Amino acid sequence: MRPLTDAEMKTVLDKLANYMSDLKSLIAPLEDGDRYVFRLNHSRVYYVKLSIANLATSISRDALLSLGTCLGKMTKTGKFRLHITALPILAAGARHKIWVKENGAQPFLYGSNVVKAHVGRWSEDCPEHQGCVVYSMADVPLGFGVTARSTTEARRLDPTGIVCFRQADCGEYLRDEDTLFAG
Amino acid sequence: MAPTRTIKNKQAGSKSGGKSGGKSGGAGGGRSKTGAGVSKPRSGAGSKSKAPISASQIKGRPNLPGLDKKKKKKVYTEKELGIPQLNMITPVGVTKPKGKKKGKVFVDDRESMSTILAIVQAEKEGAIESKLIKARQMEEIREARRVEAEKKEAERKAKLEETKDSLRKKRKKADGKKKNGDDDDVNVKELASAGTKASKPKSKKRVSFAAE
Repeated sequence: MRPLTDAEMKTVLDKLANYMSDLKSLIAPLEDGDRYVFRLNHSRVYYVKLSIANLATSISRDALLSLGTCLGKMTKTGKFRLHITALPILAAGARHKIWVKENGAQPFLYGSNVVKAHVGRWSEDCPEHQGCVVYSMADVPLGFGVTARSTTEARRLDPTGIVCFRQADCGEYLRDEDTLFAG
Repeated sequence: MAPTRTIKNKQAGSKSGGKSGGKSGGAGGGRSKTGAGVSKPRSGAGSKSKAPISASQIKGRPNLPGLDKKKKKKVYTEKELGIPQLNMITPVGVTKPKGKKKGKVFVDDRESMSTILAIVQAEKEGAIESKLIKARQMEEIREARRVEAEKKEAERKAKLEETKDSLRKKRKKADGKKKNGDDDDVNVKELASAGTKASKPKSKKRVSFAAE
């Protein structure tokens, strides 16, 4: 387990900035004087409290399975891929949101993209190919994706047209159970 | 200069001593000693004449083989030679910058993290803003085009209607004329067909079978 390098940190924050509007809250000091830090172990990036990260140094790298919140994985080409486990953090400071109706929640959780007919609401002024967090109508975050059309274009779209390309959904907790946390 | 020559001659003499020993002996009286040295083993002759010769050698001729060995051969670097570089890919990890500390530089303190964060956020904001502006501009252009197309369509329709109306009017006029001037027309036609035999009323030709 080690802290991120300059380039790695930039890559991770760049990806998070696609979905979040306020990044500064990520590293803001907590009330108890502690703060959150990013740690890398087995090419996975974890968002964890500094105190816990310091405790975790007593565990060997091979034996350490996970700590804090896993944000995603660094690929071998140096890119960063967000995992569904990062959803609570993304949802807390989401820049753009899409709310899907009851009839659209299940198809989304099964891994399909969001079509216009399933959209209940969406945030205004959302450009094309921008990260957005998908919520149910009861404001429960279901996953995240990338907008296929801007809000104005999406209005003219036919009901079967794709509005948002899925990136990750909560169904992955079951579907990718064996590879999500290790391997 | 001269003593070195003697050495060379000595060696030459020693080499060629077997062949022309008499010749060297007969060259001069002063060399008779050396001539004797030739006949002796080489080592003995060398030891005798080494000390004085070596001193004069250093003075007279510095580039002796012994001294040459001490001189260092200059080693040229690739840059100095100016050899063109091979056209191949150098992997990222292979070229190491000189004078830099080995290993990764971690970002763990809050200040550097917040600096990176601010840079990233500013970049992203800028990108999103430009995206939005671009989208708005495109939307305006599309709207303008749509309005223009609608206008053109309306104009075309209006023109079509106009032509339709004009055609209808013409037709109506023609119909009206027909209604009004129907009898006249017939009369004219009749007159034209009758020609000069105007008095004879036109009658249909009748065919009848001849009665037997």
